[in-house]
Amino acid sequence: MFVYEKRLQHPVKIKNSNPQLAKMIITQYGGPHGEIGASLRYLSQRYAMPYPELRAILTDIGTEELGHLEMVGTIVYQLTRNLTPEQIKEAGFDTYFVDHTTGVYPIAASGVPFSASTFAVTGDTIADLHEDLSAEQKARMSYDNILRFADDPDVREPIKFLRAREIVHFQRFGEGLRILTDKLDSKNFYAFNPSFDKK
Amino acid sequence: MSEKDALRRRIYAVEFAAWELHLFLDTHPNNNEAAAKLEEYRMRAEKLRKEFEEKYGPIGETTQNTSRWAWISDPWPWEKEAN
Repeated sequence: MFVYEKRLQHPVKIKNSNPQLAKMIITQYGGPHGEIGASLRYLSQRYAMPYPELRAILTDIGTEELGHLEMVGTIVYQLTRNLTPEQIKEAGFDTYFVDHTTGVYPIAASGVPFSASTFAVTGDTIADLHEDLSAEQKARMSYDNILRFADDPDVREPIKFLRAREIVHFQRFGEGLRILTDKLDSKNFYAFNPSFDKK
Repeated sequence: MSEKDALRRRIYAVEFAAWELHLFLDTHPNNNEAAAKLEEYRMRAEKLRKEFEEKYGPIGETTQNTSRWAWISDPWPWEKEAN
């Protein structure tokens, strides 16, 4: 089960609105490398994991990603306070605004709504863990790209925190993959699927 | 920064350290040094949370340190005032 804590994992306190930036950053809310996809990926993959360390790391990182989803939603929310119609139009935020006003909807920067087709749950331990490593790297890349456009230190600071978490998660998944391969036949890691085939 | 904000930032920092150690221990379950550090940070966090909740209202929904009304009160975490 999950219990809500009435706080963010890391503070977000943005003084100035910036709908143009919000339109980019929302991609980490509902885009292909975003936090809701990360969370659903790990929390769904964990059922097929054959070893306790792997079940634990997917559960915990999947849970932390929900906290990151909340941080990204908060950044988008704070960047879209007190907007005038002129600001909305000028920033190109009008195409989002017409459907969602200033509600926070899981969508990619390109406008495509969130889809589970952005991730996989294969039930194959090696495939899933490699996907997880790739996902962390792709999310880090997305935060790097956001940082190319974000000048406001109030925005950069929490984005840098989220970027750093992707690196730590990559490290932990790498250790998970190592724990797995240490238990398999080093001559052929792919001889069987450890979450399905009995040795 | 107000006294309230400063105390909240300290809770964020200590709880983050505890979480980081918790993740590390998922893939290093036999590391006694990390386990001892985690215990230390958890105790520090618990003390700070109690202090915060007594003065300013709840952080967790199961807290015993505050009133029912404080839970539904503003600010919620996405507001600037909460951070």
